[in-house]
Amino acid sequence: MTQQTSDGTDGVSRRKFLVGAGTAGMLGIAGCTTNPGASSGNSGGSGGGNGSSGNGSSGGSGENLSGEVIVKGSSTVYPVSAAIAEEYMTNHDVNVSVDSTGSGGGFQNHFCPGNADINGASRAIKDSEVQLCSDNGVEPVEFQIASDALTVAVNNEADWVDCLSFDQLAQIWKPDGAQTWSDINSDWPDEEFELYGPASSSGTFDWFIENVIGEDGSLRSDYEPTENDNRIIQGIQGSEYAMGFFGFAYYEENRENVKAVQIKENADGNCVEPSIENAKSGDYPMARPLFIYAAQSSLEEKQQVYSFMEYYLNQAETDLVSEIGYVPTSTELRDENLSKLEEYSGN
Amino acid sequence: MATGHDGPTGDWFGNSEQISRLPGKVFAATCLAATLFGIVMVAGLLVYVTKDAIRPLTANPGWFLVFFLTLVVPSTALLAYFGRRRDGEATVALTALGIPFFGLLLGSGVLMLFIDVIGIFEWLAFVAATIVAVGVILGHRRVRGRTSFLEELLVGVVALVGLGPVTYQFISTFPTLPQAWLIYLFTFGLGGAAIAGLLVARRRNDRRAGLTAFTALFVTVTAGVFIDPSTGITPPVWVILFTFAAIPTALYAEGVVRRRQGSLPVGLFFPFVVVAGMLVGAVLVDLLGFAGPQAWLDIQFLTSANSRFPEEAGIYPALIGSILMMVVVAISSFPIGVGAALYLEEYAPSSGPLSVVVKFIEINIANLAGVPSVVYGLLGLALFVNWLDFASGIVVVGGMTVGLLILPIIIISAQEAIRAVPGSLRQASYGMGATRWQTIRRVVLPEALPGILTGSILAFGRAIGETAPLLMIGAAASVFRAPNGFFDIFSAMPRQIYTWVGQPSQEFQYGVMAAGVVTLVTVMISMNAAAILIRNKYERRS
Repeated sequence: MTQQTSDGTDGVSRRKFLVGAGTAGMLGIAGCTTNPGASSGNSGGSGGGNGSSGNGSSGGSGENLSGEVIVKGSSTVYPVSAAIAEEYMTNHDVNVSVDSTGSGGGFQNHFCPGNADINGASRAIKDSEVQLCSDNGVEPVEFQIASDALTVAVNNEADWVDCLSFDQLAQIWKPDGAQTWSDINSDWPDEEFELYGPASSSGTFDWFIENVIGEDGSLRSDYEPTENDNRIIQGIQGSEYAMGFFGFAYYEENRENVKAVQIKENADGNCVEPSIENAKSGDYPMARPLFIYAAQSSLEEKQQVYSFMEYYLNQAETDLVSEIGYVPTSTELRDENLSKLEEYSGN
Repeated sequence: MATGHDGPTGDWFGNSEQISRLPGKVFAATCLAATLFGIVMVAGLLVYVTKDAIRPLTANPGWFLVFFLTLVVPSTALLAYFGRRRDGEATVALTALGIPFFGLLLGSGVLMLFIDVIGIFEWLAFVAATIVAVGVILGHRRVRGRTSFLEELLVGVVALVGLGPVTYQFISTFPTLPQAWLIYLFTFGLGGAAIAGLLVARRRNDRRAGLTAFTALFVTVTAGVFIDPSTGITPPVWVILFTFAAIPTALYAEGVVRRRQGSLPVGLFFPFVVVAGMLVGAVLVDLLGFAGPQAWLDIQFLTSANSRFPEEAGIYPALIGSILMMVVVAISSFPIGVGAALYLEEYAPSSGPLSVVVKFIEINIANLAGVPSVVYGLLGLALFVNWLDFASGIVVVGGMTVGLLILPIIIISAQEAIRAVPGSLRQASYGMGATRWQTIRRVVLPEALPGILTGSILAFGRAIGETAPLLMIGAAASVFRAPNGFFDIFSAMPRQIYTWVGQPSQEFQYGVMAAGVVTLVTVMISMNAAAILIRNKYERRS
C-alpha cells in the first residue's frame, strides 16, 4: 500500500511535468510546421523529393507527365529503346522500363495480352500475332525506327571464306543441307560446321528464314540456339569451323574477336561487307528494318506513352542510333512516323 | 590411451594388428581434400570477380604503398599487440570497428529507403498509428488487468485494424505537419536515445545514469541537425546515421568501460587508428598525385541507375528493388512457413488413417523444395499476374513468387528445428499442467527458434539471388527509377546482372557485371551476418 501511495504522489508531479513539457513542446513545434499538400517541396532535406513525386501523380495533365511506360520485345531493338529511355528520363518524370524478351516472346506474353505499351521487333508483326492482339482488344501501330545489317561471322582463323551468297547460306542453314565446309566449296576444309544462331522466339530467326532460306523453310535443328548473342560470339571464337549470325551492334563490339563475312545476294552479285554505310545505301543485302509497335489504346489514353513515342521517333533519326550500331531513320521516314503517331493517338 | 596399459594382458583386439589405421587416415584426408576443394573454388571465384570489379592493377603502386604504410601497418601492429596481451582487447578492438561499420551500412540502407521510397509524412503517420495502437493495447491491459483471452484479442484487433489505420489517415490528411527534420529527430533520434537510455539504466541498475545517457545522446543528435547542410550532412543523413551507427557504438563503449572499471579499455581506440590511417592516406595520395584503382565498384556505381555507357552504369534501382522484394519475401513466406511446420509437427495426427495424408503432404513439400526456380516463375506468372490480375513485373508479384519458391525450404528446416526440441521438455510442460498451446508458445517455439532462424536465413540467402522467377514474372531488364512502393515495377540485382552479361560491350560483360556481383554478395553476406547475430543472441538466452 505504501508503495502505491508513494507511486501516486510521484505520478502527479510527473504528470504535471509531462503536461507542461508537452505544451511547451507543441508550441515550439507549431512554429516549425509545414503543409504537405501545398508546399512539401521546401520542407527541407530529402522530404522535398518525395513530396514532388507525390504531387506528380495527382496532376497528370500538360507537361506534368508521370506514370509508367512498359517496353518489351526484341533483344536487337533493346539497346535502342534502353538508350532512348535513358535520355528521355533525364528530363521527364516518367518511369520507362525496357525489357528484352525476343520479338515473338514480347508479342505473345506481354504486348498482345495487354501488359505492355510498346513492343520492339526485329521483323514485321505476323498475322497470327495481329490476330492474337485483336482478340485481346489491342491494336498494334507499326513504326520503323532503325535498320540493322544482320552480320554473318566466322572464326578469325577461317581464312578460306570471305564471301557467301544467299544460296550458300541457305545450304548451310536449311535442314538436311550441307554438313561440311567442303560441301559448299571443294577447296574448303572437309570439316563439319559448328553453328550458332538465335533461338526461335527471336525476330532475327524469323527474318533469316523468310529472306535467306525462303518463305516456308525452316532452320536446321542441329545448331546451338541461344537468346544471348554473346554466346554466339563466344561459340564462334571457340572453334575454327564455327559460324553464326547476329545484329551488327554485337559485331561492332567484337571486331577483333570474330570475322564478318561479306554477303552477296546471288552468285554473280557483288560481295558487300556489313557496315552502317552499306546498310544505309541499301547495298548490303542483309540489311533489315527494326520496328517498334505501340498499342493504340496506350497512345490514346496514356499521355506519357504518347510523349515517349514522340521523343523516340524524333531521336531515332539522330546519331544516338548509329552510336549503338544501327542505321538511323531518314528524315522522311521520321516525318512519316510522326504524322502516323498523330493520326493514331487522336491528338 | 589405455592401450599401453591393456597391452600386456594380451587380450585386447588392437594387439593382433588386424585393425589398420590406414582407412581412417585416408578417409580423413579425403574429407579434408573435399573441404579444401570447395573453399578454394568459391574463394577463387570471389577473388576473380572482385579483381574485375576493383581493377587493382590500374592503381599507381605508390597508392598502395601509401595506404600500406598509413593504414595496414599501424592497424595490424596494434591488433598484433592486442592479440599478444591475451586479455580480449583484440575482440574489443574488432567489435568497436565492426559495430559502427555495420551501423553505417544499415543506416545508409534506411536512408536510401527514406530518400526514395517512403515519404516522410507517411512515415510520421505510420509511427503515430503504431504508437496509438500499441498504446491502446497496453493501456487496456493496465486498466483492466489480465482479462480473458478473447477480450484481449478483441482489443488488439480493434487497435491494429481500426484505430491504427484511422490515425494514419487522419495524420496523412492533416493540413499542417512538423517539418521533415523534426520528424526525423523525433522518430529516429528520440527513439534511439530512449532505447539507449533504457538499456543503460537497466545495465547499471541506475535510473539517473540512464537519464544522463538519454539526455547526452538526444542533445548531441539535436545539435547535429543544425550543421550547415552544404557540407552534405543534411538533417536526415545526420539523424539516421547517428541513430544507427553512433548510438550502438556508444552503447558498446559504455559496456566495455563499465566492465573494465579502472583499467583503460585501449581496444576502443582501434577504430580511431583505422579512420586516421584512411584520412592520412587519402590526403597523402592526393598531395603526391598517386591515382587509385579505376574501380567499377564505386560510390557512383552504387548511387546511379543503369546506363548505356559502362562508366555511368549503376545498380541503385536494382538494389532498392531487391531490398523491397526481400521485405515482401520475408513477410509472405516466414509466418506461413513456420505456421505450417508447427502444424505438421505439433498438431497434425501422427497415427491413424489421417497420418497417411500428413505423410503424403510432407513428402510433397520435400519434393517442392527441389522444383526448378523457373517453374515457380511460371507459377507466379499464372497465379499472381494472370489469375489475380496484378500488373506484371511489380515488387509484390516478384516477392511473393520468390516467397513461394523458398516456402518449402523454410517449412522443412523449421520442421527439423521443432523436431529437435527434446520430447522430455514437452512432457515436463504438460506435467506441470500447461496446455498444448502454452507448451508450444513457451517451450517449443523459444527452443526451436535459433534453428528456425538458421534455416530461414539460408532460404533468404537463396531468395535474393534468384533470377529465373523474376524473368518469368516480367521484371524488366532496365528500370531506371527505384520503386516507390510495393506496387511499382522493379528490377532486382540478379536481374540487372543478367542484363549486363547480355550486353554487347566487354566493359559491361566483365567490369560492370563484376561490380554488380560483388554488391549482391556483400548485401547477402551482411544480411546473413545480421541474422546470425540475432540467432546467436536467442541461442545464448535459451
